[in-house]
Amino acid sequence: MFPKLDPILHSELRLAVMSILAGVESAEFSYIKKQTGATSGNLSVQIDKLSAAGYISVEKGFKGKVPCTTCKITPAGLAAFENYVNSLKEYLI
Amino acid sequence: MENNFENKEMTAQESLGIITEMMNNSRRSILQNSAKHFILWGALLTVMSLLIYELIHVTHDPIWNMLWFAMPLIGFPMAHFIGKSKVALPQNIISKQLHGIWLAYCAFAVVISAVFMFIAPQNLTLVIILAFGFAECVSGITLKNWAIIVGGFILGIGGAIAAIILRSEAQLLLFTLCGVILMITGFIVKSQSK
Repeated sequence: MFPKLDPILHSELRLAVMSILAGVESAEFSYIKKQTGATSGNLSVQIDKLSAAGYISVEKGFKGKVPCTTCKITPAGLAAFENYVNSLKEYLI
Repeated sequence: MENNFENKEMTAQESLGIITEMMNNSRRSILQNSAKHFILWGALLTVMSLLIYELIHVTHDPIWNMLWFAMPLIGFPMAHFIGKSKVALPQNIISKQLHGIWLAYCAFAVVISAVFMFIAPQNLTLVIILAFGFAECVSGITLKNWAIIVGGFILGIGGAIAAIILRSEAQLLLFTLCGVILMITGFIVKSQSK
């Protein structure tokens, strides 16, 4: 019996965002947008979903006069990500 | 970037592909930025050491050694400038450790230089080059690159021995060698991140 994959993470863009954030301290919205190639609107929606799930924390601020959104993976997000990868392994073996 | 992720379901294989691709792409971008800093500081060290060597060689006045203190004053603004980009790069564990190692080295080098030059004269080149080799060696361990580890070890130990043997003017050329090694490290990091 295969384990059920976390529906929050089992989506291309959300998984891409989590994969980026798992390897860095924190990342700005513009960096994640560049790495994923996603549109601002779609990325915002997915980031909100990850944030609502408690997987990432989002900090909105300013860099000079320009608005700046910084995302950071939470311990719960990291645990969920590790769990997701472990579940994937069972599918692939 | 040609990726354009939709919000759709995927197979386990596709999931793993996305994770690998995103992590590798992000790691590459961050390491390429670190490589730029190695090359910048290496080039600056090479130029400064050759300049000071030439000035002392021509004037026979060791006062030109004071120019070393200008290096951080020139280097840090330049590093800040090349680190600037439209999209701010995040830090990962490797870039953070490399930054910490070389910042600590810089602080040690500046303080020990000031102490040896103004308070208690000692063989400064020996200490600085040994610390340089150590920092290079630890950078190699962080980057998991044997060429950098061995290069740092040989440079540290060999440079310290050479600092005892060589006269003070010729010792400056050891720093030229350090600069070249830093640039080579930068090119290795750059090729690793491709």
